[in-house]
Amino acid sequence: MDRRGFLKFAAGGTVGLVASPIIWNTLYDAVYWTQNWGWIPRLKKGESEYIPTVSKLCPSGTGFVVRTVAGTPVRTIGDKNNPVTHGAMTALAAAEAELRVSPARLKTPLRRSPDGAYVAITWTEAETLLKQKLQEAGSSVAAVSGDPTSSINEVLTSILNQRGSSDFYFMPDEEQPAAVAWEAMGGQGRLGYDMENSDCILAVGAPVLESWGVVAANRSAFNRTHPVAGEPTQKLLYAGALQNNTAAGADLWLPMKPGTDMALLLGVAHLLIKAGKQGFAAGLANFASFAAAYTPEKVSGITGVPVARLEAAAKALAEAKKPLVIAGSALGAGGSAGPVMVAVAINMLLGSVNREGGLVDMPFPVSVVAHATEYRETMRKRFVNYTQAVAAGKTKAPALLLVYAANPLYSLPADSGMKETLSKAGYSIAVASFMSETCEACDLVLPAALGMEAFDDVQTPYGSGRVTYALARPVAKPFAGARSAGELFIALAQELDLELGVKDMPELLYKHAYALGAPFRAMMDEGRVFTAKTALPASPLFYNWEAIRSAASARGAEGDIQVAPVVVLGMGTAQTAIPPFATKVVTDYQLKGKYSVAQMNSATAAKLKVNAGDHIRLVAGNNVEITVVAAIFEGILPDTVSLVAGLGHTAFDQFSKGKGSNVLALTSVCREPGTGLPVWGLAGVKAARA
Amino acid sequence: MDYSKPVDAELFPEGCERCSLTKFTGWMSILGVIFLWGLYAAVRVLGFGLGETGMDDYFGFGLWITFDLAVIALGAGAFFTGALRYILNIDELKNIVNLAAVIGFLCYTGAMMILVLDIGQPIRCWFGYWYPNVHSMLTEVIFCITCYCIVLILEFVPLVLENRQLMKRPFIHALAHNFHVYMPIFAGIGAFLSTFHQGSLGGMYGVLFGRPYLFREGFFIWPWTFFLFVLSAVSSGPMFTVLVCTLMEKMSGRKLVSWDVKQLMGKVGGTMLIVYTVFKCLDSWYWATDLLAGQGLTFDQMFHGWIYGKWLFWMEHAFIIIPMVVLLIKPLREKPWIFYLMLFLTCASITINRYVLTVQGLAQPVMPFDSWYSYAPNWAEWASCFLVFAYAAMVLSLAYRYTPMFPQEAELNRK
Amino acid sequence: MSSEVKQFKIRWGMVIDIDKCTGCGACMVACQAENNVAPAVDGSNKLRSLNWLTVFRLSNHKPFPDHEVAYLPRPCMQCGKPSCVAVCPVIATDKREEGGIVSQIPPRCIGCRYCMASCPYHARYFNWYDPKWPGDLAQALTPDVSTRMRGVVEKCSFCHHRFMKAQEAAVAAGRDPMDLPDGAYITACTEACPNGAITFGDLNNPAHKVHELIKSPYAFRLLERLGTDPQVYYISKREWVRREGDNYLEHEKTGEATKQG
Repeated sequence: MDRRGFLKFAAGGTVGLVASPIIWNTLYDAVYWTQNWGWIPRLKKGESEYIPTVSKLCPSGTGFVVRTVAGTPVRTIGDKNNPVTHGAMTALAAAEAELRVSPARLKTPLRRSPDGAYVAITWTEAETLLKQKLQEAGSSVAAVSGDPTSSINEVLTSILNQRGSSDFYFMPDEEQPAAVAWEAMGGQGRLGYDMENSDCILAVGAPVLESWGVVAANRSAFNRTHPVAGEPTQKLLYAGALQNNTAAGADLWLPMKPGTDMALLLGVAHLLIKAGKQGFAAGLANFASFAAAYTPEKVSGITGVPVARLEAAAKALAEAKKPLVIAGSALGAGGSAGPVMVAVAINMLLGSVNREGGLVDMPFPVSVVAHATEYRETMRKRFVNYTQAVAAGKTKAPALLLVYAANPLYSLPADSGMKETLSKAGYSIAVASFMSETCEACDLVLPAALGMEAFDDVQTPYGSGRVTYALARPVAKPFAGARSAGELFIALAQELDLELGVKDMPELLYKHAYALGAPFRAMMDEGRVFTAKTALPASPLFYNWEAIRSAASARGAEGDIQVAPVVVLGMGTAQTAIPPFATKVVTDYQLKGKYSVAQMNSATAAKLKVNAGDHIRLVAGNNVEITVVAAIFEGILPDTVSLVAGLGHTAFDQFSKGKGSNVLALTSVCREPGTGLPVWGLAGVKAARA
Repeated sequence: MDYSKPVDAELFPEGCERCSLTKFTGWMSILGVIFLWGLYAAVRVLGFGLGETGMDDYFGFGLWITFDLAVIALGAGAFFTGALRYILNIDELKNIVNLAAVIGFLCYTGAMMILVLDIGQPIRCWFGYWYPNVHSMLTEVIFCITCYCIVLILEFVPLVLENRQLMKRPFIHALAHNFHVYMPIFAGIGAFLSTFHQGSLGGMYGVLFGRPYLFREGFFIWPWTFFLFVLSAVSSGPMFTVLVCTLMEKMSGRKLVSWDVKQLMGKVGGTMLIVYTVFKCLDSWYWATDLLAGQGLTFDQMFHGWIYGKWLFWMEHAFIIIPMVVLLIKPLREKPWIFYLMLFLTCASITINRYVLTVQGLAQPVMPFDSWYSYAPNWAEWASCFLVFAYAAMVLSLAYRYTPMFPQEAELNRK
Repeated sequence: MSSEVKQFKIRWGMVIDIDKCTGCGACMVACQAENNVAPAVDGSNKLRSLNWLTVFRLSNHKPFPDHEVAYLPRPCMQCGKPSCVAVCPVIATDKREEGGIVSQIPPRCIGCRYCMASCPYHARYFNWYDPKWPGDLAQALTPDVSTRMRGVVEKCSFCHHRFMKAQEAAVAAGRDPMDLPDGAYITACTEACPNGAITFGDLNNPAHKVHELIKSPYAFRLLERLGTDPQVYYISKREWVRREGDNYLEHEKTGEATKQG
């Protein structure tokens, strides 16, 4: 080729290439490739439906509308027509459509093989096994339920009762100590709180805007009483060790050392009595003289609350038309009855019992299943007493232990005896939706449908001021091999020829609705929710100052540093762990990589000689040791560190596993003086730089 | 064949000695290993995504952008020397202009390599031409840099063609000659393009009115940083060329460019440095005392802790003021080590400038409730920068060995 | 400096009452689910978790016990004069459509991240890796918002698909799609907030609540002094909270420095 030929070829080639579609098509294809990689999921198209139902994963029974696309739930949206939660959502309920298909979701029944590994089995095998184990166990059966609002519990208690066992328990919760306290003060019904009609609420220890009570309802009430840019019609005072989410919404924060709720409440009672608030009932004089010892200065010394704030709180309550005092625990379980007793006493002083915006004496949920135990009776029983007795060998270990909708291995203190009970039990069965720590320790794991996949119900949760009844309706098919737990237990009872009086879940729900006078059809077809203001005749309340006195004798916290646990629903519950879509809600002052973060104020940090970001070792009274990362936050008491609950999971999926430490590991079970209630003692810890 | 000479001696420039091929191969192998390490990082980044780097949502720009800006500024010797040589006809510069062009070529192609890694969707890189946003300084940068890169290739090609053996072919000889004839045009286009994108690179930062650390007022559509970048590039570019030349001399043990030429380059850069230093200090002064206050901020708030402390700010300024003064004093600038040191300080200051604008400018939290976060480049970012270093060193070594890059070399080394 | 500001008949905007926000994060969860943002295994690294809406914790910087806390949800401000739009070299982000929402087109984005550098609110996020929905999580994707790919920037769109749906519904019902009633179009975060801290509507429309709310003496915008002209407003009765909304010199008072016509 000569030079001319080469140039011709080069020029011709260039022109040809530019004129041909090769370059341009390649460029357009490049655009197409870069947005259509095969490994990035495509959207599924289909008909959208919006079906109202309620959450069974969120403890407050949040009412939501599930949006399904071609039958698959994709969103949960607050249900504005729900008369309880008024469209308010929680971070947990908002993540439920995704939780439904999360990697931790159980897909098939699992049986533990002799080598310890799980083997997937069919439902037929599982049911046969279940029946066989139950028959073998005879009356030596125990069961625990983590879902106190569901009527599925009645089916379980009926089965146990008919097999001759009375070992059915609820997981420890917020209501158990409250029920003890209310009864001690003479209450005959169930303790309720009419928060939305109160004009001034003092919440001591109870994070009412994040985790206490019917939190979605509390938040919607907060919304309605706090108009945007307007004047609030309700004051909220919050006492807690940390400026948590509730404190952020409160008008006044009372920085209170963990475990000093009693003293604070007695101090408030004293100030109110001095201010002339002396609602009469038997025992007033004795209570007043007992409370008189709790002068603002003394209370300030015990609790750490500045005198001025204590007085401001008392003044706000005294001046309010419809004040309401609520006591509760930061953890939501393992709390004491004592503070609730004093809270009731203060409400009595203020005339806030069975009055709009006050405490409500409500009827307990009623059982409709034949041979079932009444809710109130179950509420009186203490699971931890049972497990500790089994662990100590004082009670015979059950031949069969059934764990329903609960994760006690994670959510109870290490010395609760749960671990021992599980290992001593002849056979253990977990009925759950997610692969929890407890599931991993059981012999048989049965995948349960979620609330949005099966019939279930939400009977008045604790914290409500009204009787409410909502149905969970199946808006989608159960995920993979999950099955309705209610139907499973009913079928089991039928297999065993036990009498329930109901043949399936819809009938059970119908009977409940009927008993309450609720419109079952509308609830079933439209997702309507029933509410009723059902106040009982006033209970003969009295100031049980002796009970208060003995509860007040509880030991104070020890150790150099107090731990203030924080519960946030974004972290899920013990049953769900952290929902995949909530990991980003977990803040950098709660979790850092694989370490829990301990918040402390700069004075505490200086005392411990730590800087933000340093690793510190916390050693609890029970010798449990955890390593955490320090963060500086001024909204916390001196000598106190806060740790968020819901971390430290060893089961579930990558979204929860191996992140931080379980704050419950630092607690141990104590007994409250007087009531004998098992309470989670958050004894102080020793802290040092790691 | 003369066995006393390396086997590839026939390829060497006329009258120049080179080391043995074995030694050269050894040197190239060392560079090759570094190159492969960088290539591994690049493959990971392209294969898995930019998550392989140490960058994050707060530091969307990091080492790579700093590197790009620095090498583009330091590579400015190519266009500036070229313009002076071919347009203003300063003839002595012909002795170093080849090197300047090769450095420019290497800096720009290197920067392009890094940019391919740095953008999240390299396959879409041509969108800048297809869907241009004429308001964006970056659009201008994309236009000018790619065009200028082509110009640099055109400036580099004739040098390759001038290889002794290649030149023996009549076609190549004619081609090389033609290239030389048109060189002033390339130089002119290059000067225009390069001035603009150097400026636009600075403008990219100055227009960010959401970033008080970076935002500057300016003239017409160009913020002051536009002009500062041009000035800093034309002052440091020639200096960097001299430094590279000197480094090559030390490594090869041969004199490549005469001291006079180097001094001339220093004079060129130094003159520009005076202009730059004056304007840079005025700009910093106005920014610190006036501009920030208008946004409710103080000078102190722009700095934090050790890594984002004020020392970098003072160092950046000191490293241009000191060379400016020292280079003005004849007895000092005539001492080689002082001369080279001052050149180095200037280049360092320009690099610090590019770093603080890129990293500290993003680190400074604008929302009062936001925090300072720190950024540290990870191995993948370092490795890919070393990829470019290795690439540049290899090309430069080849160019030195086989092309008549230094017209004075034979003369200066005559025994 | 920079180009002209386009005027819109409709300006979608948000008013966030910080005094009502308690930082529960329901808005963030709803946002991710609605907009098909992939979950992060470790969300505690805030510099690498893609979140169109982020809740910041504010402090009054006083020591215990005078410390106060507040939470500030930060969506995209949909600035009237966006710093990002002008800098994007490929027009992957624009503010052109009626409603004043700053668009972001991932298939157009080349991933240069210049817009992220420009945004003082950190409202823009990068896909450092391909998004992943482990296991069966992809089943819960909504059909409304396309999934993104690695190497592109994304940000809050004010749930733009809901705007389109509301307009379609208005057309179907024979109403004017350019005059939607208050509440006909709201974002997923607005809908999810249990405390009602977020109000959404057309800032220009007197029939919408936000129109009045932004006139409140307690209303402010983030970093107004920079001149971004955000369409997101905040409200707080607490002076210290408002002060956290912008940079002030010691002697300056809130509400004064920002009035710039």
